[in-house]
Amino acid sequence: MASKPIEDTADWVGTRLPRKEDLRLMTGGGKFLSDMVLPGMLHAVFVRSEYAHARIKGIDKSEAVAMPGVVAVYTGADIEHAFKALDIPVLIPNLPAQFPKYHALAVDKVRYHGEPVALVIARDKYVAEDASELVIVDYDELPVVIDAEAALEDGAPRVHDDSKDNEIFAMTFTGGETPEEQAANDVEVEKIFAEADVVVSERFKVHRTGVTPLEPRGVLCEWNESDGLTAYITTQRPHIDRLALVDVLELPAEKVRVIAPRDMGGGFGIKAPFYRENIIIAHAAMELGRPVCWVESRYESLMNIGQERDQINYMEIAATKDGELLALRNRGIGNNGAGCIGVYWGFVMPFLGAVEMPNAYTWPKGDVKLRVASTNKTSLTPSRAFGNFPTRFAIERSIDIVAHKIGMEPAELRRKNIIPQLPYTSITGEYYDSGDFLGVWDNLMAQIDLEAFRKEQAEARKEGRYIGIGFSCGVELSGVASDLMVPMENQPGYGAASVRLEPRGKVYVFGGDAPSGQGHETATAQAVAAIFGIDPDDIVVTTGDTTTTPFGSGSIGARFGSYYVSAVAKACEEIKDKITRILAHDLQIEAHKQHFEFKNGDIVYLGDPTKRKAFKDMVERIIMWPINLPEGEVGGLETTAFFEADKPMICFNADCCMVEVNEESGAFNITRWVTSEDVGNVINPTIVEGQMHGALVQGLSNTMFEEFVYDELGQQMSADFEHYKLATAADVPDFEITYSSTPCPHTPLGTRGIGEGRPSSVPGALTNAVCDALTPFGIEITELPLRPNTVWRKIQESKS
Amino acid sequence: MPTINVTVNGERYEETVPERLLLSDFLRERLSLTGTHIGCTYEGVCGACTIHLDGEAVKSCLMLAVQADGHAITTIEGLRDGSLTPLQAAFKANHALQCGFCTPGILMNMTEFLEKNPNPTDEEIRHGLVGNLCRCTGYVHIVKAVREAAQSTTR
Amino acid sequence: MFPAKIEKYVRPQSIAEALAALGEFEEGDAMFLAGGQSAMQAIKSRMLRPECIVDLQNISELKGIDAAAGGLRIGAMTRYVEIAQSAALNGAFAALADAAARVGDRQVRNRGTIGGSVCWNYMASCMPAVVLGTNGTMNLTAANGGERSIAADDFFLGPLETAREDTEILTSVSWDAPVSKTGSAYKKWGLVTDALPVVGVCVRVSVGGDGTCSDARVSISGLAGGGERAPAAETALLGSDGSTAAIAKAMDAAAEAADTHSDMSADADYRRQLIRNLGREVAASAFARART
Repeated sequence: MASKPIEDTADWVGTRLPRKEDLRLMTGGGKFLSDMVLPGMLHAVFVRSEYAHARIKGIDKSEAVAMPGVVAVYTGADIEHAFKALDIPVLIPNLPAQFPKYHALAVDKVRYHGEPVALVIARDKYVAEDASELVIVDYDELPVVIDAEAALEDGAPRVHDDSKDNEIFAMTFTGGETPEEQAANDVEVEKIFAEADVVVSERFKVHRTGVTPLEPRGVLCEWNESDGLTAYITTQRPHIDRLALVDVLELPAEKVRVIAPRDMGGGFGIKAPFYRENIIIAHAAMELGRPVCWVESRYESLMNIGQERDQINYMEIAATKDGELLALRNRGIGNNGAGCIGVYWGFVMPFLGAVEMPNAYTWPKGDVKLRVASTNKTSLTPSRAFGNFPTRFAIERSIDIVAHKIGMEPAELRRKNIIPQLPYTSITGEYYDSGDFLGVWDNLMAQIDLEAFRKEQAEARKEGRYIGIGFSCGVELSGVASDLMVPMENQPGYGAASVRLEPRGKVYVFGGDAPSGQGHETATAQAVAAIFGIDPDDIVVTTGDTTTTPFGSGSIGARFGSYYVSAVAKACEEIKDKITRILAHDLQIEAHKQHFEFKNGDIVYLGDPTKRKAFKDMVERIIMWPINLPEGEVGGLETTAFFEADKPMICFNADCCMVEVNEESGAFNITRWVTSEDVGNVINPTIVEGQMHGALVQGLSNTMFEEFVYDELGQQMSADFEHYKLATAADVPDFEITYSSTPCPHTPLGTRGIGEGRPSSVPGALTNAVCDALTPFGIEITELPLRPNTVWRKIQESKS
Repeated sequence: MPTINVTVNGERYEETVPERLLLSDFLRERLSLTGTHIGCTYEGVCGACTIHLDGEAVKSCLMLAVQADGHAITTIEGLRDGSLTPLQAAFKANHALQCGFCTPGILMNMTEFLEKNPNPTDEEIRHGLVGNLCRCTGYVHIVKAVREAAQSTTR
Repeated sequence: MFPAKIEKYVRPQSIAEALAALGEFEEGDAMFLAGGQSAMQAIKSRMLRPECIVDLQNISELKGIDAAAGGLRIGAMTRYVEIAQSAALNGAFAALADAAARVGDRQVRNRGTIGGSVCWNYMASCMPAVVLGTNGTMNLTAANGGERSIAADDFFLGPLETAREDTEILTSVSWDAPVSKTGSAYKKWGLVTDALPVVGVCVRVSVGGDGTCSDARVSISGLAGGGERAPAAETALLGSDGSTAAIAKAMDAAAEAADTHSDMSADADYRRQLIRNLGREVAASAFARART
């Protein structure tokens, strides 16, 4: 997409404006949580469980307490009755599940390696670590269950003593609301499978991996009796964290303020849950009367958070021999881990993954069921591509396997079954509001010459070279409407923003969501600048402070381009209403907003362009000289607006990946990656492309390199960057991002929220390409990670 | 406790430090130069703490402050003299940063890289970046920015 | 994680001063710090808790590359960046540059040293295997000034273990001048670029006047026992013509004989395959270098 030249201020939307955020971040001026220092600040270090499952017989903290410089040491016994457990309504989704009770520090027993057991607070962080080594925990080891299928068997070790079994959540997503309707549907689906020309049936396994941000978590709390608690938290959803702190600590709501630092080093969903560490740090700050800071180490981070995916899908597809998809049947088994995280409890991700499973294809019928097992791993935490990485891999691979079975070009099979017309409601009940899926697909195919590639592939094979092509496509949620957010997370989905003008004509925007690098300051400023006809430099964006911003459910699920910026636009339009009412009155004309243009710093009456006023002068007049106003008007220019879409909204993409596989080593090299995107109207193409690049590399890194490894005793073996491998710049390709956009009809700017779900298209496209390259060997890969080792082994098996 | 003499961003410091104090903590906490970031526990892999020690890119989390005695250090705060360096300008023009947490380390490393390799290929740039993990950008715009900075200074 | 308490830090100016400083502490309580790119990981994770750190950065006699008279001596405090870029490291010694150019990353290569690496002898590291494969000699000085030299075969005893006494300092690693035309090469494989080796192979070959291989050493990095020689491959190469077939046969033998293990990076069979693939490439390169 070319950069729109800025001929007038309307062009701010759609242009490649360099970001407002960058100057401070490039010069060491960013202010991240760990950069904050408060007078008298104390440092906290957690003692974490050495075992995956063990009874805590006792904790001796006497030596730690006695160490000079140590201020306090807390254990589960100290806090069990000091404040509530974390199974509180604000943190519990409206989904039927066995929610385990848990505390900020483990009480009685530990349920995963790395669970917080004690907290040491000292004046110096080095001393806090010294003292943490002196906290002696006496454990009695319990049997461990790591595998999800094993955890669901009778007699498996029970992860949570207060649950009847390890099945934390189970659901049927197809066929209707009642068990009778669902059972009848299952019979119909079975009939389709029994009569189908072709049935594909595979077990797809995706490992435990996620999207580790470069900045780990942190919490800094201060307390004083008059103002109450101020908690600085690396969080994507400060308003939810505030409510949780209020409810768990049983504080008056007006006494709790949460501030997400303006600069956060990535989030990707990992900073969206409410974490137990927040509570104990707040409690300590209140009890000690001094600020307490905890900065998570990478070791703690990799052991506790950012772990997602980890799912088995038994997927079956029925199709005709002509490539018409008839039915989808899936039995998903999610490995939840211990589930001790607020809002999500682990299983909300596999829940959404099941909802989104049908993807962009027309399935006349489906039978989709999910079971999620508690195990002695740390909880699943949301990671970009929330829940749908494993299911998208399974579906996109299955499509190729069907194509291979019936001897059809996989691209052709996709096109044949892509939903031709929107809106559409999927077999799992997901509503797709708008877009042109076939347009996106055809745009992708226009970027490549498939026929030429097939010829080249045939020629290469003659020389013993194996090149392949793989496709995938992806329907992603563009924000989450209240319709889905209330049941799923017990929170609203609307976007909210306050817009305040100051007397010199500058604009302050306040948002309750808390971004972590997505460029919201810039994109917000571009939208506001275009609406008011002013310069983006005139706009200041504030996010993340619960005292100054309206309620927002957080920077999650691609809410920016869908809900938040729509609320901003709505607020600006309301202010324009007022400005133009007063301006028409001042000009003594009969005119309304649509008769004025806000452009290049002026407000121009379209009926007579000589009738105009500088925007800043008009703003000053309304704020500072509120006399001679129309009847009923008062001065001042500030409003808060909420935006809600009636139905969920989506965005859509299709990917093509080309590889060359080395038959001898199984190594594969990505030679080209092309995408086609429907991202609606784009505010800043450069930012959108940055989001896509980042998401694609996260997807590649998850697919090829990253893996959280547990041994049979539940010990985590991958808690540092030497073992948990992130892709480096030398490991990944360049990408060609192309657009086939349709404006969203439901948002004021026609924008769509983008980028969140984007990594999930990667494992399917890449694995399809590798399998396509190896067609002569008849290899179908159904497990991740995808590594040279795995590919090589498959080739050996095929040869023997 | 030993006393160390270091020059940081052109300013001379004489400071008494515990032997075990990490150089990264010395810069961040003692000198309040918080642009040097910490993204690892002990492993020193992420590169966000990269500084210049006597003009060379090194990871400040893998050094003790006492080891820097007698040396000159440049941190991200001291990288530019007034206006943005060509590399910084290229980063801004090409959207080579998102959250910005890794960015100071990348700028420090790539600044020295370009001094040693004024005319690098993309492959050399990517190889030069191995010591800096970035989680947001997918590296594409970073590579582009480094390439553009090289071209703008060698032109 | 932060280092445990350190009582003393000293920065001697000479080898004698360094040894004297070390001697002030009980054996094992004080340690030398070279580039610190591995040692600091261990100190921060508190796997190492030295009371005293003797920082070798100021000792100029420990630095530098000396390639006089066809042999080679690399001071223990010589950094990877210098080894990777040294014009002297061609032919018989090219494997050292191959390895140094791919250790860690730029920042690590700007500080990490050959001496630090060989004395630490981490299981998955390149330099010990390359020193072994190129037949280097470790030159040590003891507290009383006594010097001894230990061949690589006798120096590397297993992961994190070497023949160096705690009271000795490694001053340099040296190599004799090759008697005939000799070439060496090294390459490793890891999951991501320049990661610690899952497997690496170092080959050093000499060719006689008739073009056949008159001497061969092969070592493998990344094995459970650290860097190890591959005698089966050496035997197979010796006397061969260095042809593709001969090399393949030798590397098959190396793979067959290697005691590979399975872990999260690769399984045992794949490690064998890596030995074959890398070995062929590296051996071909070593022969080519020997012949130029």
